[in-house]
Amino acid sequence: MTSSPHIHDDGAAVAARAERRWATLSIVIIVVIAGVAAFAGIHQATMPQVRVETADPTTLHIGGEFVETNLGSAAEPDGTVTVRAIGQRYSFTPQCILVPTDTPITLRATSSDVVHGLLIQGTNVNTMLVPGYVSVLTARFEKPGEHLMPCQEFCSIGHEGMWARVKVIDKAAFMNMTSNRRRLDCVE
Amino acid sequence: MSAESVFSLRNRWFITAVGITAGLFLLTAVVGLIVLPYAQRDVTFTSIWDAICSAAGVPQVRSSAAPVQPDFKVSTVVVTASMLGQPSQESIGRGATLAQQCAICHGPVGVSRADSPNLAGQYASAIYKQLKDFTSGARVNAIMTPFAVSLSEQDMVDLSAYYAYLPRLPAYHPEQGKPAPRIVVNGAPMRNIAACGSCHGALDNKAGSPWLEGQSAAYIRTQLQAFASGARRNDISQQMRNIARQMTPEEIDEVAQYYASQPPQSRRASSE
Repeated sequence: MTSSPHIHDDGAAVAARAERRWATLSIVIIVVIAGVAAFAGIHQATMPQVRVETADPTTLHIGGEFVETNLGSAAEPDGTVTVRAIGQRYSFTPQCILVPTDTPITLRATSSDVVHGLLIQGTNVNTMLVPGYVSVLTARFEKPGEHLMPCQEFCSIGHEGMWARVKVIDKAAFMNMTSNRRRLDCVE
Repeated sequence: MSAESVFSLRNRWFITAVGITAGLFLLTAVVGLIVLPYAQRDVTFTSIWDAICSAAGVPQVRSSAAPVQPDFKVSTVVVTASMLGQPSQESIGRGATLAQQCAICHGPVGVSRADSPNLAGQYASAIYKQLKDFTSGARVNAIMTPFAVSLSEQDMVDLSAYYAYLPRLPAYHPEQGKPAPRIVVNGAPMRNIAACGSCHGALDNKAGSPWLEGQSAAYIRTQLQAFASGARRNDISQQMRNIARQMTPEEIDEVAQYYASQPPQSRRASSE
């Protein structure tokens, strides 16, 4: 355009056309980005937690759902497995979480002191453990194996020593173990 | 266009603008509070109000199955970082009088001549927690239990305040040439062990954890072994059992020896 020797007298019309094109383009970009976010939100499970649940961090150990003997994996009547865990400075209890393959797992965890993070390597399980609130996640493990579960939220000076393991075992073996113990873990 | 006619139903622009805004509001409310909650898998709502309240973040307390109750006494102490923060002079004085009955094992100024813990300068929260656990039976000891059961809540607060007020033994490690044990300085991150000092005072203090410098080696070793074997279970949510279970017997020895080093004057006192 700038190389053109003529001076166009329909400059206003050119400008209006360019403006319309750019406006259209930016609206398309916004719609695409919003659409990607909505699609990912609905189909890739990148949703915030459905329910807000609370738990008093100072009395977790005294009774209720997060008392130490109730932590670990529990087989539910509907065939799913609920895993309960707490994060504290500087360990997870239980230190080794035992889960079966091919089973819907509900992970319920909270913190008894500061903000911790719960991340299971090799999976998309990743959440914060905020004192006062119960973090709930669902997961499903396809293959037997072992995953690391480090604290991924700096929780103070011993943070680097804080992690647990998740051991995935065959579903039949797991269900066998539930017959004589109501809460399972793999702490040695 | 005059000012009166702007907010009039006859003004087409006004109707359109309000209509679009209200429509957007309704649409986002329906999508955010109803459509998206129902789009999630693994969730069942009892009613549409349940879905709306959940999406709006109304807190709920729900715990499905009956919890497995412990068949042993767990610690019932509520430990917070701000507990027993500012003791009164009266409380400290009362604690000093009460402490006379403790002196035979824990020393007249809280520095033990036996293998009982030194209490001088100990964190008040740590002393209070152990006394309370002895009283409740969460921690059992043939000597301490009978003493503790007769203490009132105020007695425990006062004793903790008194011992916390006494000057503590300074950290003293005569073998400066030798590096401090790795387990003390760094912990063992590969085995889920944080450095001892990240809770026990050298780096940071986790409320309820004791100061360890100058404690008897025999005492530290015995307690670590008891945590590792599960014989002692009054640590809240296994916070110390998780650590001790992962330690090797050699590391337990190293730690006990390291913390047990005491400055010369207290050595003299204990050998007199």
